[in-house]
Amino acid sequence: MSEAAIADKRDLWFCWWVLPFFYSFFGLIFVLLTRVMPPPSPHKTDAQIATFFHSHTTTIQIGFAILMVVIGGSGILNGFVAYEMKRMSVNPAFAYTYIATLAVGAIPGCLMCAFSFLAATFRPDRNVHIIAMLYDVALLTFVGSLGCFATQYLVLGIAVLLDKNQIFPKWFAYVSFWNVITELLAAPVFVFKKGPFSWNGAISFWEGTVIFVIYLNCFILLLRKAVQSQGATEVVAD
Amino acid sequence: MSSSARTSVVWLALSALTLASWWLRVVHDHGALSASTAATVGVLAVALVKGRLIIREFMEVRSAPVWLGWATDGWLSVVWVTILVMYLV
Amino acid sequence: MAAETSTASRADGRTLPGDINMWVFVLGDMVFFGAYCVIFMFYRTREQDMFLQSQRHLSLATGVINTLFLLTSSRFVALAVQAVRDGKHERATRLVGVGGLFGIAFVALKIHEWYVLSHHGFALSTNDFFMFYFALTAIHVFHVLLGMFVLGLVVRELRRDDLQRTWVVEAGATYWHMVDLIWVLLFAILYVMR
Repeated sequence: MSEAAIADKRDLWFCWWVLPFFYSFFGLIFVLLTRVMPPPSPHKTDAQIATFFHSHTTTIQIGFAILMVVIGGSGILNGFVAYEMKRMSVNPAFAYTYIATLAVGAIPGCLMCAFSFLAATFRPDRNVHIIAMLYDVALLTFVGSLGCFATQYLVLGIAVLLDKNQIFPKWFAYVSFWNVITELLAAPVFVFKKGPFSWNGAISFWEGTVIFVIYLNCFILLLRKAVQSQGATEVVAD
Repeated sequence: MSSSARTSVVWLALSALTLASWWLRVVHDHGALSASTAATVGVLAVALVKGRLIIREFMEVRSAPVWLGWATDGWLSVVWVTILVMYLV
Repeated sequence: MAAETSTASRADGRTLPGDINMWVFVLGDMVFFGAYCVIFMFYRTREQDMFLQSQRHLSLATGVINTLFLLTSSRFVALAVQAVRDGKHERATRLVGVGGLFGIAFVALKIHEWYVLSHHGFALSTNDFFMFYFALTAIHVFHVLLGMFVLGLVVRELRRDDLQRTWVVEAGATYWHMVDLIWVLLFAILYVMR
């Protein structure tokens, strides 16, 4: 490969490298620091919820402060994926839809949870009922914000199936579709406080997360292949 | 046997097995719906046979590459055994 | 793309029906549904009496008829695949159509069943049994509706002279049979086992 061709792709490789860094931060923040994944139980009393926040105040504040700094990474990743989708033979509307659904989804998908948790830990002597409400808002949005993401997975999957340029293999479309089903199965979280369909349940949370992790790992590898496969002379419409 | 005849025979077998589970409960057991290990083991065994027939015949795994046969038999085994063990324990 | 098709013969004469991508989907879906059923069993063993009591409100006859609907539709779809291989595209189209009709019958009866149950006061939040019953049958019906769409794509494939690719019909059939397979499992654990 010529020097010019390699140099042409450095910007894409920069984007790709954001992936493992961003999701590592995501894991560190949501799993280890803020304890949102797996979510604490919806079955707690208001007093227990307040205790949860008191005992994790420092790590919640550090974790979500870091999130505010790194969340921009999702913008880079969405732009990067949209670019790869524009290399497909399908209409660029698919790429724009991908960006739009995730841009909207980021707010209930993680930011509302972050701000609610930060508000809950901001004044430790706040009324426990108000703290409990912030807890509900945080976790209901985090797990229950399924519409935007279901649309994103659907659009990505359809684009992959229709794409004649085979930027991604067709089986990946089906992996994306699995996530549509798991998103739909998160809908009952608004009703159940325990059992498999609560926001920390075996079906609504755990199985969905496992399937998402499979999807993410596939996506990271396939995006790498997509960047590698792009020829130096390939023309991508604006 | 032609392939369409074979398909129809499989369908008849599957239908018969399905009707059998209805007959067993309604006629043989007089509509009983109390816990019964024997009945449940029977139900699961029938479902296993039906499942394998669908996989091997309708889905044509019988004439597919061997790895697919292993994968589908593996699925049948793991799911059915897990369900049975959870029921019995 | 020709590279997608896998109905080329191999040395041992074994062929993969459809294409590998659809099999990835089907096998994955089977694993996930299997997991849902195992989770169902986990909760069932903890509340066996309540599950048994609640199960009494299900109509076994309805379950049987629905099972027969799907088995029959699968038979017609399987026959359609054979017709395509014989080059009889019009016959295949009719067979897929009949298969689809039985699929519609399944959905209609399922909706009727839900209506009757809710009329008697049973809902997703009634108890754990009904929670699983409604959620699992709903996800399954979603797969059936998706299957209707897939069969529609198969019919479109068959009716266009420039397409009529065998592997597309086979892949659609594979998906449809999976829907049938999953129902056989659900029927056993929701309606029949005790």
